[in-house]
Amino acid sequence: MTKHVPGSPGRCGDWPPDEVARLLARVSRPGRYAGGEFNTRDKAGARPRIVLSYPDAYEIGISNPALQILYSQINDDTHAAAERAYCPWPDMADGMRAAGVPLWSLETMTPVADCDLWGFTLPHELTATNVLEMLDLAGVPLRSEAREESDPIVLGGGPAVANPWPLAPYFDAFFVGEVEHRLEAIVAALGEASRPARLRRLGAVPGMWLPGTSGRPAVRQVFTAFSGTPPVLRPVVPVMEAVHDRAVIEVMRGCTAGCRFCQAGMWYRPVRERPVDLVVGAADRLLDETGCDEVSLLSLSSCDYSGVGEVLTRIRALRPGVRVSLPSLRIDSAAENLGGFAAGQRGSLTLAPEAGTQELRDAINKGIDEEQFEEAVRATFMGGFTGLKLYYMIGLPGETDDDVLGIVRMAATAARLAREIGRGRVRLSLAVSSYVPKAHTPFEREPFAGEATLTRRQRLLRDATPRGVRVSFHGVAASVVEATLARGGPGSDRLVEEAWRRGARFDGWTEHFRPDVWRAAAEATGAVLGEADVSDGTLPWESAVASGLTAAFLADERARGLRGELSPDCRDGSCLACGVCVGDVEMDLLR
Amino acid sequence: MTWWLLTFTRGGSGRYLSHLDTARAVQRTFARAGIPVALSQGMRPKPRISLPLPLPVGAAGLREIAAVEVVPEAPAAAAALRALRAAAPPGVEPTGITVVGEQHPRPQPMSAEYVCELGGDAGSIVSAVERYVAEEEVIHERVSPKGRRRLDLKDYVVEVSAEPLDDGARLGFTVVHRADGAARPQEYVDLIARWAEVEPAMCGLERRHITWQGVPPAPGAGAGRSVSS
Repeated sequence: MTKHVPGSPGRCGDWPPDEVARLLARVSRPGRYAGGEFNTRDKAGARPRIVLSYPDAYEIGISNPALQILYSQINDDTHAAAERAYCPWPDMADGMRAAGVPLWSLETMTPVADCDLWGFTLPHELTATNVLEMLDLAGVPLRSEAREESDPIVLGGGPAVANPWPLAPYFDAFFVGEVEHRLEAIVAALGEASRPARLRRLGAVPGMWLPGTSGRPAVRQVFTAFSGTPPVLRPVVPVMEAVHDRAVIEVMRGCTAGCRFCQAGMWYRPVRERPVDLVVGAADRLLDETGCDEVSLLSLSSCDYSGVGEVLTRIRALRPGVRVSLPSLRIDSAAENLGGFAAGQRGSLTLAPEAGTQELRDAINKGIDEEQFEEAVRATFMGGFTGLKLYYMIGLPGETDDDVLGIVRMAATAARLAREIGRGRVRLSLAVSSYVPKAHTPFEREPFAGEATLTRRQRLLRDATPRGVRVSFHGVAASVVEATLARGGPGSDRLVEEAWRRGARFDGWTEHFRPDVWRAAAEATGAVLGEADVSDGTLPWESAVASGLTAAFLADERARGLRGELSPDCRDGSCLACGVCVGDVEMDLLR
Repeated sequence: MTWWLLTFTRGGSGRYLSHLDTARAVQRTFARAGIPVALSQGMRPKPRISLPLPLPVGAAGLREIAAVEVVPEAPAAAAALRALRAAAPPGVEPTGITVVGEQHPRPQPMSAEYVCELGGDAGSIVSAVERYVAEEEVIHERVSPKGRRRLDLKDYVVEVSAEPLDDGARLGFTVVHRADGAARPQEYVDLIARWAEVEPAMCGLERRHITWQGVPPAPGAGAGRSVSS
């Protein structure tokens, strides 16, 4: 494939390369592979060349905030060039293999395999087979040990690195934690003359874990300058439709609510908040740069952001008509803030009670009570929202059938309030997923509920849900695979590779997930789906990743959970000695 | 409120946009350029932008048109065009603005000229085009979610030509838009490919010119209220 620069309107016929053009003429949604978005950076010819990938379809990956941060920072603040590639949809993958065309980057239409570093952000376990698919389509040897001097260094990052074992042999290195302040060191390491020298120098970057080489676990990195650093101001804006069509400002990183099931809440500690002036100024600039008419205040729990009220007021005053959305709401803080937030809003809102009874909510440290729930639902409807989605998990540790029926009782309460306040015009729905125990959480040693229990409880819930309330479930079979990989140890990569070789890909998509393939792969590799031997002793990920959370904290939180005891939020002044705040790592709150 | 006709090219990466994506690109370009577009009435106001003739996915367009209603605070056309060109994505390039006035222009396409390259044996492709010219009628059955429709391509695809290339041939043709609709460019190209027994995938489909009814003189044609790049 020769080098081409996309764009060039008016000179039709010279772009893209012929072999790519023939593929694009045959596949669904060819815009996924053509680039040409707003705010793409043109650094063709710059070295080192870094390709950033999100192992899912373009319309999912283009909305990923982490990739936007890396893309902006590498291109704007270093001499390196960052380009992008996403996982080709199966029709394109088949066409590429048949035509012998390797995976290309969207910016320069040149083969990904020619880059110096290929960075993947790994969002969750069900994208594992897509990583292998992309490596294969690029012509990069699957396993690190088979790569040679001319092959790129393959680097993994993102939340799924909390347990890197299922993908360990396919990556040369993993970066654990937040990378913003380590990017320059990574770019510098790529300047070394040979691949072994580059890997050695990368291995010396704090937070880096090289499978088979690193003698100790990598310490999760925390970007302590987060609060004073502006958010991404010139994001790549897709022209074709993506899952999110709005400007995004990360207002806060981390969450200390302490929900015991939540990996993100544990992983991104401590809480750091961006100043209101910085956020409002960024919103103004972002709306100009993106052309969006909606700005989203992103964090793990945006109503907990200390400046939420002031930011809402000031953005609305500065840019009348612009919608402001809070994508992730906890019910307790939402109940207090929804009144101001909801004014003039339309559309739907999602609240996450997570569990159906007080006992189970206390066990997972989701300390909201019925009164707060009703208050939040009332505020939602009174604020003008015309849809409410309630998000729950089933299969939580200690859950009983009555806990599941508690979800139905809460739905009935919400339906009653909808009739009283929303006067019947409100859409009410339940989204129910299956709980998967994750590494570095207090419940990391708890058993997975299993396929039979989850299937039975889904049926129980479906049969009891009141009329007029829609209920949707996450597929149990996919959760079983997710649970297997989430706590898989050394050797779990064999299951991933076997499943991929048998055709598994896009496992997070219902229409593509093939449980039969995973069952066959498990049988072939001797894996037991849904099970993890983690009840006692050392956990597999402890040899690779040090999250900063102490074993004592996790054990104590687990014990409190099993006793149904709540733990306070440490942002309120009660330190639980989780172990994260060490040295210059500390909470950074507005007040 | 004032209606503008924006002329633009769609090429390069922009070829692979759908009709809705192209409309979104134009809308977003106006937003990024800071040019306020009038909104429709109702519960969910939408920007008043319309692209009267969809361009197929995969095709380039050298002289596309969007009708856009702007608010009185919008800048003068020349300044607006400069801002739009700076704000547009790489595959969509604004080339001119014609100020129409308060009346919605509602442009109607009369005909559109296309070129397209087909790979394979040039002689076979040229023969297939000659056969098309010689046939009295060429019935094509279009199957869509709306049902089946039979149309005689000869009524809609005229002025056909084929120019031999090193590896294939360049087809030229004009699609006539009638009250009962039009043929799709792909339908003609697929027919020629089938007759020539070559790969039907078309590369480099380009819409070079559209003849409109109800459109004021184009930018650059001497109109007093038009600007072009």
